[in-house]
Amino acid sequence: MRYSTIVQRLVYRYALLTRLAHWFGAIAVAVLISSGLQIFNAAPYLDAADRSTPARRVLSIGSPADGVGQLTLFGHTFTTTGFLGWGSDGVGGETARAFPGWLTIPAYQDLADGRRWHFFFAWVASLAWLAWLVSSAIKGNLAEMVLRPSDLPKLLPMQAYYLRLRREPPPHGTYNPLQKAAYTFVLFVLAPLIVLTGLALSPGIDAIAHPLTVLFGGRQFARLWHFLGMLLFVGFALVHIFQVATQGFFNQMRSMISGWYRLRDHESVGP
Amino acid sequence: MKRRLFLASSIAAALGGCAPIGTALNDNPGFHHLLGLEGALDAAILGNSAGLARQYSIADISPHFPIDSLPTPTSSTYEALLANGFRSYALAISGAVERPMHIPLARLAGMAQQSQITRHDCVEGWSAIGAWTGVPLRDVLRLATPHRDARYVVFRCMDRDDQGTPYYESLDMAQAYHPQTLLALQLNGRPIRPDHGAPVRLRVPTQLGYKSAKWVAEIQVVGSFAHLYGGKGGYWEDQGYEWYAGI
Repeated sequence: MRYSTIVQRLVYRYALLTRLAHWFGAIAVAVLISSGLQIFNAAPYLDAADRSTPARRVLSIGSPADGVGQLTLFGHTFTTTGFLGWGSDGVGGETARAFPGWLTIPAYQDLADGRRWHFFFAWVASLAWLAWLVSSAIKGNLAEMVLRPSDLPKLLPMQAYYLRLRREPPPHGTYNPLQKAAYTFVLFVLAPLIVLTGLALSPGIDAIAHPLTVLFGGRQFARLWHFLGMLLFVGFALVHIFQVATQGFFNQMRSMISGWYRLRDHESVGP
Repeated sequence: MKRRLFLASSIAAALGGCAPIGTALNDNPGFHHLLGLEGALDAAILGNSAGLARQYSIADISPHFPIDSLPTPTSSTYEALLANGFRSYALAISGAVERPMHIPLARLAGMAQQSQITRHDCVEGWSAIGAWTGVPLRDVLRLATPHRDARYVVFRCMDRDDQGTPYYESLDMAQAYHPQTLLALQLNGRPIRPDHGAPVRLRVPTQLGYKSAKWVAEIQVVGSFAHLYGGKGGYWEDQGYEWYAGI
């Protein structure tokens, strides 16, 4: 009779504050994306300039005629009817609209309310980020999440493992090198950049912090960076959700809900 | 495979639920009010900031300054003003002031002028740079001397929407006395065109464009704007936009 000799150890991986920060952050980011698309819809184009400059338009979404939606990217136009430019009006019909109703909060076009949601949840997301940072720093497990120079040689072997070109992942701590790279980039580079480019859009902030808006190339340019930041965040979220769904969904979900995670045999605790 | 399908469909349901749940909460008056409290926080933090809007050079001026407001007034009063080149226009200053008055356009033009090349940021997301020349609002207010307990300056305008509701805006005293808050008479070196708000347009470069009211007819100093129209202090504010428009 065969039996497993693998000792499945349960470890308490996430502190309560970390878990709360994760879920508040996740909800806030979802709201920020959909209310952000609502705000984008009011001026559905992005210019690489300080003031609006059609000659430096990078992206625009429009409806040249009823029933037709178009996306123009660097001067190349694509038909996107039903999704971008022409789609759901959020109240059961279709209309000329950059992003469709099922992607925006509220579903119908309302810039004033989109702004209310966006600015309220910008505080929620920022406070969740801060709570996570403080909680991780206190617990001392920031170190196991941040990418270090010694992780760099392990990035390619880890990618090879994901591509099934390698049987085992390289030995690593709580997080594998690619996870560390992703989390370090998202939490310490992307998230602050999204906040700063958002602030740079506000005339009241620009009046007290000119260098911030200048740094990003001006107000419209900051709007472009803010949008690109959102796209990168969406990319991260899709990979993140895919990973959670495929790398032991119930174990992963349990750990982010109750804190307890079951270690697999190639994993260990600590950095 | 069934589990994968279950997971994929629950994730899709969670994402797809975002807009309908958000819309339902948006239509809930209590939640809607809660969201709006953030605007009061912004006003408390930034509302009376003395920061100056960035100044640009002549080369930065937008070749085309968009028109994105209520339509140019078509009333007989405005037509008459337009017909005589605004010679009969006089800016009224009323309310909680020591000396209520009417200031003819020629007198405004004769006061010390300020020029600023500043960026106009529309709440919709576009921006345009223009050179504005006119009288700092604080110079005009000093002529009339607001009462000590006055709190807001209301701008009553000549434009109306298709329901007949007039445009109006308001600033608190600190915003009204901000050195860049201007009663503009010229855009890019020429008298302001009718569609840009002739003859007198407010310029508040530290806030979003809806504060920069066009076609200003009267300045009214008040202790509260709660009794005016929708009670929120402005035409767009009455439709849900924040009173402090610096964000």
